[in-house]
Amino acid sequence: MGINGSVYKKNEGAQGKVYYSRLYRRLILLTLLCSVVPLLLVGWAINIHYTRFAKSKMMNSFRTQVDYHQRMIELFLKERSSGLQLIACTHSKGYLAEASNLAYVFEIMKQEYGSITDLGVIDGDGRHLAYIGPYDLMDKNYSGAFWFREVMKKGIYISDMFMGFRKVPHFIIAVTRAERGEKWILRATIDTQAFRSLVENVRIGKTGEVYLLNSQGIFQTSPRFSGNIMEKSPFPIETVHEGTKICLLEAGPKDSEQDFPRQIVAQSWLKEPRWLLVVKQNYSEAFNEVNRANYAILIFLHLSALTILIASIFITGHLIKVIKRRDAEAEQLNKQLLQAGKLASVGELSAGVAHEINNPLAIILTERQILLDLAEQTTTMDADFKKELVASLSQIDVQVQRCKRITQNLLRFSRRTTSVIEAVDLNEFIEEVVELMEREARTSGIKFIPDLEEGLPPLLTDPSQLQQVFLNLITNAIDAHDGRSYGSIRISTRSKDKSEGVMVVFADTGSGISLENLEKIFDPFFTTKPVGKGTGLGLSICYSIIRRLGGDISVQSEPGKGTEFTFFLPYSPPSDLQESINEVLEV
Amino acid sequence: MKGSKILLVDDEVVFTNNMSKLLTNRGYRVTAVNSGDAAIRVLDEEDFDVVVLDLKMPGMDGITTLKEIKKLGLFTETLVLTGHGSIDTALEATKLGAYDYLTKPCEIDELVEKIEGAWGKKDDTEKKDIQEKIQKVVESPKAAFSLFKRKKGK
Repeated sequence: MGINGSVYKKNEGAQGKVYYSRLYRRLILLTLLCSVVPLLLVGWAINIHYTRFAKSKMMNSFRTQVDYHQRMIELFLKERSSGLQLIACTHSKGYLAEASNLAYVFEIMKQEYGSITDLGVIDGDGRHLAYIGPYDLMDKNYSGAFWFREVMKKGIYISDMFMGFRKVPHFIIAVTRAERGEKWILRATIDTQAFRSLVENVRIGKTGEVYLLNSQGIFQTSPRFSGNIMEKSPFPIETVHEGTKICLLEAGPKDSEQDFPRQIVAQSWLKEPRWLLVVKQNYSEAFNEVNRANYAILIFLHLSALTILIASIFITGHLIKVIKRRDAEAEQLNKQLLQAGKLASVGELSAGVAHEINNPLAIILTERQILLDLAEQTTTMDADFKKELVASLSQIDVQVQRCKRITQNLLRFSRRTTSVIEAVDLNEFIEEVVELMEREARTSGIKFIPDLEEGLPPLLTDPSQLQQVFLNLITNAIDAHDGRSYGSIRISTRSKDKSEGVMVVFADTGSGISLENLEKIFDPFFTTKPVGKGTGLGLSICYSIIRRLGGDISVQSEPGKGTEFTFFLPYSPPSDLQESINEVLEV
Repeated sequence: MKGSKILLVDDEVVFTNNMSKLLTNRGYRVTAVNSGDAAIRVLDEEDFDVVVLDLKMPGMDGITTLKEIKKLGLFTETLVLTGHGSIDTALEATKLGAYDYLTKPCEIDELVEKIEGAWGKKDDTEKKDIQEKIQKVVESPKAAFSLFKRKKGK
């Protein structure tokens, strides 16, 4: 039974551990669910929203830049072509064919517009009538040139960049004028340096570049990174579209010619000539700020989550500790309740049993008395027989008295005994009890060590019941030294003003009590003494007496070293006891 | 005193039989009954010196019986017998006017001692009562008449 009990207890302990760790996990999970998850959700949502917002803002600024550059370029070209047209319309072929006149116009144009390299007047057959410029082009015939045919057809023409006779990239603007049914052409070469710087000098960050492509995908200006003027662009050319188109160019394959990072590309077609303005920037650079802000947000978010996690771990740990302590207290209380309940029910039972047994015992005694009377009245009885009979009858008496003692113990244990309350000087009282037991203890080699606090206030309590407690404890302590040649019993008293009573510690150096027995020592009828030696009621009587007197008793023991009973006695007994006392005193 | 009339009241027939024998051997005149009702009936018809009354009985219990006996207004003293379990009841009984109590099982000598004590008290009160009555009669002879009347009415 004892072994089973302890095994069961151990299992319960293990289950408790599992229960608490499960509770711990659940609480943490719950805290995280209620705090970290919403935090992360909101954080992520804000992050996504912010990224989208920042990106669209970024794209818009990109678009604005492209539009701005486009307008700049178009304005540049428009200015020059309008100037040429104005001159062609306001001057006659004859006038401009004069080199000095053309030189004059050229000078004015240079002054007004700048970036014009040369100016030529060409007749309908493609021959130069006049030419002002750094090159000797007077005998060139352009009748076979593409631009010549185009300008003759459209009236105005802006060429793509070409090398031409000069072997440098340049482009021309040409306008026609019909004079007396005869067409002639005013043609200007644009200073490519000035034009190119207009585009090429635009700097967008470290990785940004701006360039122009013609409809065949030939660079019209030198891009910063992707190639050179007059070269073919490595990227396929877009079909003509209205407005600005922004797209992402995914990173090219590694270790190839097209090894470039992910880029953001804006493209817009010029109206005249059909050139494509391309603005490019590495994606990472363009969105650097956004990404940095994003990282900051994410780091902050996760740090917060981590903080909450750590805090929840600590708080939950603390909470579990508190719960554990409360549970332990509740369990302790439960145990006490159980003990009290056990004692109460056993007390009820004992009282009933004792009472019922007393009746037959009374009859046995009367029967014995009758036999004794008869034996005394008879004169014819054999002397030996009579002696034997009387001996037997006195043995019956002894045994009946023994039964009576047992029933008395049972009844004392039950609540049906009355208390007589007196003022007791506990120290004096203990000394008296010790004196009473000293002789018995000395024969077992046991010394009493009183350790009594001086000047204790008197206790209002029942001395006879208290004596019972001390006698029981001393008897047990002496028995615990069985098989030892010497030992000691220390009895100490300490006043406890806070709880208004006295703490009594009763420590022996006996054999101690094993853990599984320790839980049961206050149980009625639990004894480790051999059959017939102990009733198993001593400590339960102590327990019930001390509880009745408004105190509390606990035990600590180390097998082989000794046992320590600690009990508390209040200065005045509980009110219910006092009432019963008053009732008794009224008699 | 030898020859005192004792009424034993206990539901245990064996106990009352044995007690009767023992007390008769010791010179008492004993009547035994086994219930409170029977006790009251017997007391109504006959005078007893001492009633030995068990507290725990089926039917009318000891305390009720004691109250009934007291109602009869007799000189008879009551000695209460009880198991240990009902010391409180025994105290209550003494409050109600029982002479004393004894716990079962008890030695015959102890019982005899208490019976003697009870008889002594009964004897005293009876004597005192008689003296008072004589005093009254001496003071006013009319009182004797009323005394006689009360006796009749009982």
